[in-house]
Amino acid sequence: MKMQLAMVIDSSSCIDCKGCMAACKVENNVASGHWRNWIKLQDPDFYNQGLQGDASAMHFQPGNCMHCDNPTCVQACPTSATYKDDNDGTIKVNKKLCIGCGSCIPACPYGARYRHPEEKVVDKCDFCERRRARGELPACVTTCPTKARTFGDLKDPNSEVARLLKSNKTVKVFNRQTDTQPNIYYMSMTAPIDWPVKAETPAAIQLWKVINPFVYGFVGLNVLGVLAMLGKQLLIKDDPPEAEHK
Amino acid sequence: MSAKLDTAISRRSFLKWTGAATAATAVGARTPVLHALVPSEENTASGKVEQHFSVCDMCLNKCGLIARVEKGVVTKLDPNPKFLKSRGMLCARGNAGIAQLYDPDRLKYPLLRKGKRGEGKWQRLSWDQALDYAAEQMKKIGDKYSRCGMLFSPGSDMQSTFVHWFAEVFGSYNVTTHESACLLSRNRAYLDTFGEVPFSDVLHSKYIIMAGANRFEALITPDSIDLMSTKKNGCKLVVLDPRYTKTAALADEWYPIRPGTDMAFFLALTHVIISEKIYDQTYAAEKLYGLEQLSEHVKQYSPEWAENECEIPAKDIRRIARELAAAAPIAMVYPGRRTSDYVNSTQIRRSMAILNGLLGNWDRPGGLLAARQVGLSKVELPEAPWYEDNPDDRLDMGRAHMMFEEEGSFKHMRDAIIEEKPYPIKGWFVYKHNPLQSEANRQRTLEMMEKLDFVLTVDIAMSDTAWMSDLVLPAPSYLERQDPASGLQGSSACACVVTRDPVVAPLFESKPVVEILQGLANRLELAEYFDFSIEGYRKQQLRKLPDAERALKKDGVYYNPSKLYGVYEGKVYKTKSKLIELYNERYAQMGVPPLPVYRSPRQVPSGRFRMVVGRNAYFTHCTTQNNALLHELMPENSLWIHPKPASALGLKEGDLVEVGSAAGTGELKISLKNGIRQDTVYMASGFGVLSKDLTNIYGKGACIAEILEDYSDELSGNMAMHETFVRVTRKVA
Amino acid sequence: MKSKMIKRHSKVTIFMHWFNAFCWFLLLATGLGLIKNEDLQLMGGWWSNLMYSIFGSGETLLLVHEICGLTWLVVFIVYMIFGSRKYVIPFLKQVFTYSPATDLKWLIKKNIQMTLGNKWLKRLGFTPDIPDQGFYNVGQKLFAVASILGGIVIAATGIIMFLSNILLQNTAIVQWAIVIHFVAVGVVTGGLLVHIYMAAISPDERPAFFSMFTGTVPEDYAEHHHKLWYDEIKSAEGKEHPSTSSGQVA
Repeated sequence: MKMQLAMVIDSSSCIDCKGCMAACKVENNVASGHWRNWIKLQDPDFYNQGLQGDASAMHFQPGNCMHCDNPTCVQACPTSATYKDDNDGTIKVNKKLCIGCGSCIPACPYGARYRHPEEKVVDKCDFCERRRARGELPACVTTCPTKARTFGDLKDPNSEVARLLKSNKTVKVFNRQTDTQPNIYYMSMTAPIDWPVKAETPAAIQLWKVINPFVYGFVGLNVLGVLAMLGKQLLIKDDPPEAEHK
Repeated sequence: MSAKLDTAISRRSFLKWTGAATAATAVGARTPVLHALVPSEENTASGKVEQHFSVCDMCLNKCGLIARVEKGVVTKLDPNPKFLKSRGMLCARGNAGIAQLYDPDRLKYPLLRKGKRGEGKWQRLSWDQALDYAAEQMKKIGDKYSRCGMLFSPGSDMQSTFVHWFAEVFGSYNVTTHESACLLSRNRAYLDTFGEVPFSDVLHSKYIIMAGANRFEALITPDSIDLMSTKKNGCKLVVLDPRYTKTAALADEWYPIRPGTDMAFFLALTHVIISEKIYDQTYAAEKLYGLEQLSEHVKQYSPEWAENECEIPAKDIRRIARELAAAAPIAMVYPGRRTSDYVNSTQIRRSMAILNGLLGNWDRPGGLLAARQVGLSKVELPEAPWYEDNPDDRLDMGRAHMMFEEEGSFKHMRDAIIEEKPYPIKGWFVYKHNPLQSEANRQRTLEMMEKLDFVLTVDIAMSDTAWMSDLVLPAPSYLERQDPASGLQGSSACACVVTRDPVVAPLFESKPVVEILQGLANRLELAEYFDFSIEGYRKQQLRKLPDAERALKKDGVYYNPSKLYGVYEGKVYKTKSKLIELYNERYAQMGVPPLPVYRSPRQVPSGRFRMVVGRNAYFTHCTTQNNALLHELMPENSLWIHPKPASALGLKEGDLVEVGSAAGTGELKISLKNGIRQDTVYMASGFGVLSKDLTNIYGKGACIAEILEDYSDELSGNMAMHETFVRVTRKVA
Repeated sequence: MKSKMIKRHSKVTIFMHWFNAFCWFLLLATGLGLIKNEDLQLMGGWWSNLMYSIFGSGETLLLVHEICGLTWLVVFIVYMIFGSRKYVIPFLKQVFTYSPATDLKWLIKKNIQMTLGNKWLKRLGFTPDIPDQGFYNVGQKLFAVASILGGIVIAATGIIMFLSNILLQNTAIVQWAIVIHFVAVGVVTGGLLVHIYMAAISPDERPAFFSMFTGTVPEDYAEHHHKLWYDEIKSAEGKEHPSTSSGQVA
């Protein structure tokens, strides 16, 4: 891969103004009732902790598709209509190939994907590809009042994201059972961290994976049968079919 | 949307076109603009992309923006990276400006009421008809009741100055602005202490006490942004708020202070700083007036005494005082903005201003700043005519000790209109203002409107006030307007000039208010006073700033590199004593306490709750709730209540309750919040609307204005909206 | 002596057969090519890559697959409506008629004969007589049934997938459609491979292969391979032309 586009987010800078959600929605025509990005929040424990320091305060955590290195969503798509782009490392959806079967949706631990009710194919964050083509940053990055989001190419050692990663302790938010190796890094403490869910495959696709070898096996058996017949045809000098019919 | 601009016809495109064609015919009855409501890939695929500067109008901050226009449709509003005041950002509301521009609920043409007020029956008029009618009504009122028989509410917009001007040339002194529901207490207090209303150098401060202000939600640029930066730079933030707001959440210390007792806290801080002599005595001798009287006055206000009042531990008060003093002068008590809370709100802010004075932070880095030079010139306009039969004063004069004449007091004006004393007001011109949602006691405002023969509202959508008016005129959004120049104070970020030019042509039959006023002026023989174009007006404003026009065109903003700190170097302060007035002589002369005297707020009766008002970052006060985009962030309001009293009332999360006071009632669901005092409840503004034409929110939530009783600040006449005690009762759905 | 030719397949039948075959190849090729997911494509990525390079992109591949599938369906629907009496119903009658006892015998004996030869047939203790067959032998009938049923399932699930992002909001039904579509295709493909061998490669059935072009088969072939049908024809002929018992076609 030539680039790995990623984000480093200082969630402690986030004030939950929802500017990023609004900007993304406008920029990308996100369908009403759905969002390409989000802000997760963790309430403080008023009863058991005081309100000093990071751990006990309320925390806002902006996020969006993590453009993972081990994308379970890509692994769920039968046609690879969603795929990891070789050039920039983003997870893309080819909307002309996607038929909206929705198999990839529960396969994302972050709930980053949704089925667009009008387009009827899957939609999600693409790091604002059209904006990048114009030389602009993703809408969420540009609009943020506290500039909590930093965007760039992890593989470029001179990029801001690479520098931030080098000089800061960062954490990733992922589900213990499905580490998709996300490409959004959070600087130092962030909360909540246990919210991503285990990647799920729809029942039909699970069934497919189970009977797949049997289907191929069945065809293979037929191939063997054909080869046997072909073998017989070529190798066995047969007795003439005398009195074959009653 | 797929990224590729693919020229191959895909079957999806084919189907989309057929589908779109069908949809277009079905929807075709509505205006052609609707097709542009959702810019499709086909629309933008082969069009040129234009970029236009403007400044946002979704709230008062006027953040610079760059509008992206594709094939005549505004597709995105991005921050202007060169706009220092906003630090190059655009919040959720800024992004939602497009949804305002293309709002299906927008007012489209002049409407005249048919049937009773509030029935929602309208008759469409042409502009000529509408303006003829309006001028006729205004003339009638002027003839019968004198020109002061018309009340004007100019809103606070870049064209509001023209409404002020119209009121002046029409001859009415009766002008109220929304400021008397907002910051007049603060302005009064700081004017009477420093001689001007300061801005805050949040970015460079090292210690900030924020009482009531909720800067991470009630966004003010650059303060809200700088507050995060300054925290990262080690500035300590202490927040006093009965609610655990997002600002409280991000603060270093939060105290759920007993509402209305802030003065006790600040007097106690002052007590500690003076008694321990941890202030700059040289500075005090040079710059402060009345330190002796103050020292004597605060002797009684010990931290131990204050703890009883405000429920903040005395040891913390003492510690905070010492920390504050140690950080001084790079420390401040944040003045805030919305101070329309208690009947003594001005005096509360006096106690805060006085403490600021003592900290020595005036006109210095990290402290309170004087206004910077922007450099706009006043436009020469003909002198306004004099009307013989006019009364002596504005109608609400004398009802509050120290009212600001330009802003007045809506509460007092309203009372006077209902009483028809000392004289009647019978007409109302409202621009970009929604008192039925923004002012406490909606029923009382309705009562006031019943006294009026003619109510005209100019707005972009059918607000509650427009809904109850006689004539409603459609204004364009800011993206369709050309505006005069406006000067902005960006505290330590900048002092700048902004302006607007249309990004797209006005939609429907909307007309900017200046044209409406010109139309009225022509019909009222006042044409000479409105004989200007916006360009001409603007040119005059910029006449002393030769670089401004070019900068505005090139960068979307003009910066005046005027002095930031030490503005008063070698000068005296604009006060009677020429010093910072801890002790205010004029107050003493007027019989008003010259130093703030603490008075306990009224006790919350048992079984009741104090209702408080507050903002969030998704809405601007009581407008924008109906905006299609912002609406999704918060579809309705709910009553914040602590779980303990809620359970005592038999309430579970999401239950429907009736909230009532002497002013009125409302029904809404509850949200259980650990982060609110047990004696306090809160609800967001702008819901429970009367207007059925706000289709996203009609029927949702409840109206806080309906429930708030109308108390006001004794000195400024500012509305006091935290004085209402409410009953909360469970509603069986 | 060269055998007389008798008519076996009409022009319509011939057209539908090759139309079906062509569509099937194209649909199978493109359909398999669409399954690009490494976890699901047990054949490996090479086929998909080949398809992508031939058709240019995944979306074009999908478009071709859908157009071909829809065309196939439309033509078959037209065929079923207009050819119902003359072609479809007789065909269905033939392929859905079975005599279980003899059919089973035929299947077993034929399979051994085709793979091991007559010598082994004898050695395994079977008599060399294979039961007479009608217009279609049991193998052909079974494959036809599989193709028909499979085809219906494939068409139905195909329509669901096609409508998925045009009309549908329910994704579960689409997910099931994908899997069932794949399994049905697999089942029919298995049979298809045998069918192709039987029809085009096995020398025994060569006349049948040619009949799918000419429409005729030699009489002695018909008598040997489809005796029951041959007998029917002969008796019908006898009734028609009692004087032409030598078997000349009128």
